[in-house]
Amino acid sequence: MHSLGIAFDLLFGSPIILYSIIGLIWGIIGGSLPGISASITMALLLPFTYGMAPVQAIVLLACTYIGAEYGGSIPAILIRTPGTNSAAATVIDGYEMKRQGRAGEALGISLWSGVIGSLFGLLMLIMLTEPLSWVALAFKPTSYFALGILGLSVIASMTNGSLLKGLAAAVVGLMIATIGTDPISGVTRFTFGSPELLGGVEPVLIMIGVFAVSELMMQSGSKGLGGVSEQVRVRLPSLSMMNRLKRSQFIGCLLGTFEGLTPGGGGSIAAFLSYNEARRWSKEPEKFGKGSEEGVAAPETANNTVASAALIPLLSFGIPSSNSTAVLLGGLLIHGLLPGPRLFEQNADVVVGLYLGSFIATLAQILVGILLLPVCVWLVNRPRAYLAGFILALILSGIFTLNTSLADLGIALGMGLVGYLMRRAGYPLLPLILGVVLGHMVESSYRRSLLLSGGDHTIFLEDPIAVGLLLASFVFVTLSLVREFRDARNAKLKDAHA
Amino acid sequence: MREHAALRDLAGGIVVLVIAGLYYWAIGDIAESSLSDDVGATGLPRILAYILAGFGLILTARAVMAGALSPAPRPAAEASAPSEDEDETSALPRALGFLAFGVAYVVLVPIIGYLPAIALLIGAVALYEGAPRNWKTLATALGGALLYWGIFVKLLGVHQPSGWFF
Amino acid sequence: MQGGPFIGPWEDTMRHLAIATAVAASLSAWSASHAVAQTPVDYPQKVVTLVTHSSPGGGSDVFLREMAKHLPKYIKATFIVENVQGGSGARAVSRLATAPADGSVFYATTPTYIYTSLLSKVQYGYKDVEPLVNFFTDSEVIYTRADGPYKTLKDVIDKAQVSRGRWGAANPASLERQAAEQLKKAANVFPAVVSHEGGGDLMINVLNGTLDIGIGEIPEIRPQLEAGKIRLLATFDPQRMEAFPNIPTVKESGYPVALEKFRGLAGPKGLPPEITKIWDEAVPKVLADPDYKKVYRTESLVANFIPHAKYQGFIQNFGTVTEAFLKESGVLK
Repeated sequence: MHSLGIAFDLLFGSPIILYSIIGLIWGIIGGSLPGISASITMALLLPFTYGMAPVQAIVLLACTYIGAEYGGSIPAILIRTPGTNSAAATVIDGYEMKRQGRAGEALGISLWSGVIGSLFGLLMLIMLTEPLSWVALAFKPTSYFALGILGLSVIASMTNGSLLKGLAAAVVGLMIATIGTDPISGVTRFTFGSPELLGGVEPVLIMIGVFAVSELMMQSGSKGLGGVSEQVRVRLPSLSMMNRLKRSQFIGCLLGTFEGLTPGGGGSIAAFLSYNEARRWSKEPEKFGKGSEEGVAAPETANNTVASAALIPLLSFGIPSSNSTAVLLGGLLIHGLLPGPRLFEQNADVVVGLYLGSFIATLAQILVGILLLPVCVWLVNRPRAYLAGFILALILSGIFTLNTSLADLGIALGMGLVGYLMRRAGYPLLPLILGVVLGHMVESSYRRSLLLSGGDHTIFLEDPIAVGLLLASFVFVTLSLVREFRDARNAKLKDAHA
Repeated sequence: MREHAALRDLAGGIVVLVIAGLYYWAIGDIAESSLSDDVGATGLPRILAYILAGFGLILTARAVMAGALSPAPRPAAEASAPSEDEDETSALPRALGFLAFGVAYVVLVPIIGYLPAIALLIGAVALYEGAPRNWKTLATALGGALLYWGIFVKLLGVHQPSGWFF
Repeated sequence: MQGGPFIGPWEDTMRHLAIATAVAASLSAWSASHAVAQTPVDYPQKVVTLVTHSSPGGGSDVFLREMAKHLPKYIKATFIVENVQGGSGARAVSRLATAPADGSVFYATTPTYIYTSLLSKVQYGYKDVEPLVNFFTDSEVIYTRADGPYKTLKDVIDKAQVSRGRWGAANPASLERQAAEQLKKAANVFPAVVSHEGGGDLMINVLNGTLDIGIGEIPEIRPQLEAGKIRLLATFDPQRMEAFPNIPTVKESGYPVALEKFRGLAGPKGLPPEITKIWDEAVPKVLADPDYKKVYRTESLVANFIPHAKYQGFIQNFGTVTEAFLKESGVLK
């Protein structure tokens, strides 16, 4: 009852709604610009929050996070450019739908799924913060290693029928992840003396390079996308479609909550895992990769769930599970708010305001999306000759903001060439991306585990979470391989009949 | 067609081998530290290099066999390029030409500054992609540059490279 | 979540956000609204830019923004904070090294820039800039979980003697890691020292019992410290911390190790003496300002003024000691 009172005060006493909607719109804009991650979008606002009341500042930042996680899917669908790391999995079926002239439908599905994910994450945050926060605490280095392996196990089903090439691509991805400072000893690896590489290569540079730049190179000189007439209107899913998406969204919600609780890939692991699981449990798995609606819904639900669920370890322990929540932590600290158990007692108004603001932002997301998205769709339907230049300019401007480094631009362009050559030679791109995203986590947590045990591998068996995750990875890989071989055999049979 | 695919696989396999070799060679630069663990900073890189070299060998060998026995039908699962991109693939020189505009931008932007460089980039790519040489293309390039400058520099307030003149 | 390893734990989690922000207007308005007793000394520059490698909200950023609020009371100028991120501090240092040495640009120094200068081929390193004065020392502490078996640092060392100790440091190749190695040497024990991806990551592993102790900074662990889940065992500071007078130093616990994680300012080479003199005189007054004291005490910053004449030697010495440590341990070839 007390919280309800606070909620009403906040709603009518101070313009919380205003802050949450400004944050949401700002977040969608920032998130949809390639290279400008959710954390940068938030950090750009941070200096302006110094003068605000704490609750206003926190609502503004949290709603920016929600908007940015959603916004990342817009360029992923429209121009094959993941706006944020966690939108990489959305590229697969989202861009395929766009190529089929179903951009409006894909954007509608991602919008709807984003709302479902945010609401679910918020529900978890409000109802279950206390019990779920202990999941974060139970994660040891052994568990992180197993989580990384589970993420890598997705590779087995993302090789486009060429297992060997897929695995080779994954190894190259893992190699890229070793660039930078060694996580245990601190010696530099493959940096060639450059301070720019001390912190490693940003995964988003690789994603934008191999997905977006290579796509621009592929399309260079072509007349356009086959003259498919695009509907400009954004179509929210119909009731029967909502029903069909339920299963994939449920998977996204579960995995998203799980990743939100555990520091890691900041949403990308959950997005890839739920894409994979949605395919496994789908009634139409053959449509995945060819413009499946569920293939858009699953990762988009997952990464939006992460945005809300990541507040659980942040508020209860002061532990940021991603760069974005780290900026939010900065925002809390600047206003003298200390996360932890006492925040809920001493600053209940901030906590309730945060819940309320996020809730408003989630609902407003539908409205803002319906108004904003047609403009985006219209933009990408301009004559191809102009569009190509605009996209390249957008990418090069966007990634410069990451580190204000021209070297980053060089990396993205170089990865564009790599992506182009890989596609020409029939090497799948996704295993490379997964390797880049997960390599660091797998290596560092493996070595930490062995350091703790003195080189004894049985330490992995002592951790029930690790055992569970490793078993799951084993089952997934086996099932995926069985399916790959079955598909291959079926294809051969079909060939023989034809 | 089949020989062509085998040739491409052969090139792919050799490139994979070269990457593995270069990576292995670069491992030599990593310092051995007493702060390290038993696995060491070079532990994973070495394993990765070996595995990749192994994949490269198999891929190369498979391509050679496929090329040598080209009349024999190969299983569909190992068909060359996935069909998704085949229809709109542009030739390598053309694609490299496109990339060159990006590289030119990276070289030019510290000299002439963000606004002129981005206008040049949009205009040049548009012409390369077949836009007519008229005032419309020019206006689009200038307008686009102003738009991006407005979004990134003015709205977001993030620095873009400034050149000698701007 | 690859961590920028040399950036302090705070900055680490929020690394590489390349943004330059200025809040000059709000700061000068703030100082104008506060009528102060003493008149600020004249300064040759109207606007002074304080550069940091940390992102908005990161450790050095908060340090500078707080400082910028209080400096105008003693030095007549407007102070602007500029975030120059990337390259683990290398870019910020080159921004400084190429700026005019007229007192208009300074850089917030932390051990980060020394590590980066040593570990990569930077165009401008710590020897290419001139240390101005030091303001603070960040307290480095040893902590354990409150319901764990360790009550004192000696308990931890004893355990490490009989079985495999498990210690944690926030980042690889950092001052905390160096502290752990020196303590190992001083106590003649050989525990495993596990580097993490920043202070939060480390704290989880201390709380869930994976590690015996963690070595980090107070701000990172404060939520759990106040909630009573974490116990401080000792500090690497040369003296006891003001905020925690009951916590002994490592030295008092019997192991001759002391560290100073400094926070100060540096300028381009060749700062004119009239500028350094103004700072030498103003900084002790700023540090004694009651409003400012209240703020930095809660952050567990220890006022540690080192004047210009001594600060150069201090930084050189820190650099030499660090270089020797990195060479001895083989991190540097």
